[in-house]
Amino acid sequence: MRAVLNTGRNISQGIAVEHKGSPAYQAAVSVCHMNPVDLMELGIDEGEHVTLTSRAGSVVLTTRAAESMNRGEVFVPLGPYANHIISAETHATGMPDFKAEPVDVVPTDESVRTVWELMESIGGVRYDH
Amino acid sequence: MIIKDVVCPFCGCLCDDLDVEVDGQKIIKVQNGCTLAEATLTGNNRLPAPIRRTANGWEEISYDDAIRETADILCAADRPLLYGWSSTHGEAQSIGVHIAELIGAVIDNTSVVCHGPSILAIQEVGHPGCTLGQVKNRADVIVYWGCNPTEAHPRHMSRYTTFATGFFVPEAQKDRTVIVVDTRRTESAEIADEFIRIERGGDYEVLSALRAIVRGKGSILPREIAGVAREQLFRVAEICMKAKFGAIFFGLGLTMSNGKYKNVRNAIELTDELNRHTKFTISPLRGHGNVYGSNEVFTWITGYPYAVDFARGIAFYNPGETTAVDILRWGECDAALIVASDPGAHFPHAAAAHLAKIPTILIDPHRTATTPLCRLQIPCTMAGIDAEGTAYRMDGVPIRYKKLIESLYPDDADLLRRIHDRIREVQGA
Ligand code: SF4
Repeated sequence: MRAVLNTGRNISQGIAVEHKGSPAYQAAVSVCHMNPVDLMELGIDEGEHVTLTSRAGSVVLTTRAAESMNRGEVFVPLGPYANHIISAETHATGMPDFKAEPVDVVPTDESVRTVWELMESIGGVRYDH
Repeated sequence: MIIKDVVCPFCGCLCDDLDVEVDGQKIIKVQNGCTLAEATLTGNNRLPAPIRRTANGWEEISYDDAIRETADILCAADRPLLYGWSSTHGEAQSIGVHIAELIGAVIDNTSVVCHGPSILAIQEVGHPGCTLGQVKNRADVIVYWGCNPTEAHPRHMSRYTTFATGFFVPEAQKDRTVIVVDTRRTESAEIADEFIRIERGGDYEVLSALRAIVRGKGSILPREIAGVAREQLFRVAEICMKAKFGAIFFGLGLTMSNGKYKNVRNAIELTDELNRHTKFTISPLRGHGNVYGSNEVFTWITGYPYAVDFARGIAFYNPGETTAVDILRWGECDAALIVASDPGAHFPHAAAAHLAKIPTILIDPHRTATTPLCRLQIPCTMAGIDAEGTAYRMDGVPIRYKKLIESLYPDDADLLRRIHDRIREVQGA
């Protein structure tokens, strides 16, 4: 399914934001909110996983049904998961397209990576002492 | 011990009416704050000591070594980037700007990925704004455009708008009309008297349509504008023009969507049109506690609010060229100092990945998503918890952060001062 990715703050992201390695943070920001009809069209239930692929890369997320979403739009809270697939292009404004990234949404059995795994995939070294 | 009138450092509301109970070096209870305040003030995820990345992982090092190494890295760089600054106080921000000048660096703050475009629009057409106190006491029409204060600024509505009683608005819920404009039916939209749901990317069109109506040219409008019925826009324009005092607050729904600063410019120009009929103001809902302060401090010292490049020996500003995301995505900088922010989590990864390729130093109290990308991390105090200092509320009012507990860590202003002095020593030699 083709969709537009929107990102932003929400309460659970805000509560866990100073605990980036915590399960609560990962659970808060690795979620893909989408319209229940879109979920039905993909043939999956809430809680199953999808891969979102954009021009910048791809990432696996857990789905959550949200009546508030328009069809054809998905919302991922601000954080390392959303940013794994947001392009760095800023159109000479300094600001990336955090609310308008076109993505492909495909169901998957793959598991959601941890924040540290994501950071390692871009050259980081985890610190988990 | 209970400390009264504590300032919450989390979001740009900087609520200054919290009661915090402290037991020794621990904060045990937070009253009056929202859930975000409680999580911020009682959280405990501090990095215990400075760390350095080695070939085999991480090792702890002393503050002296960390400061020396930071100064050496910055002095050796051709194009250093100093980024962050929104979660600390003005005292640290100002030393950051002085370091940037000393080493000819680019210094940028987190407004580049939040309200940077709003600043660009304000530079084009000005800012008809006011303080939150004016809004609380006078505004009978409130518009929230492209923002969701219920989740991002949880007490904005109860302290200043929807649920706040004011001098000229004694019965908030009866006297104030709240309009929410968004592409999603957010929790804030549920509370609104009028919710305008626009198609994604349709903000500019809807703003233009409202301007046309306020100008008396509504007859040229098509039946539907970006998914919104013309009749609803006529109704909303009428509410706004009949207001005694209106206040628009806007968020990243305008600055991050297609059109970016042009959306904000159009919103400011709508405010201008409305002022031909009544009093109307517009202000950005600033995100991080002291992000507005970083714009203030950068501006007093350099003349520019963010994205300041000292490579020429003088301050130069050209967003799109001297902005952190662009400098990183082009692989332009060869060293980085990140202070009080987390680009590992909040920058597109194509840009953040460059931080792992160059020597990056992070000054931050917490283990963050930038920790794995850096070469050195130096833990410091957290402004508003174990350090005092000046912060600017989203409406530009300076507020003094209190120190609530004794710290085991150095203040980031002291760390930066020591790095600054060490750089001068190295340069002098
Ligand atoms: S609204 Fe913002 S400043 Fe006020 S208590 Fe909540 S997080 Fe803190």
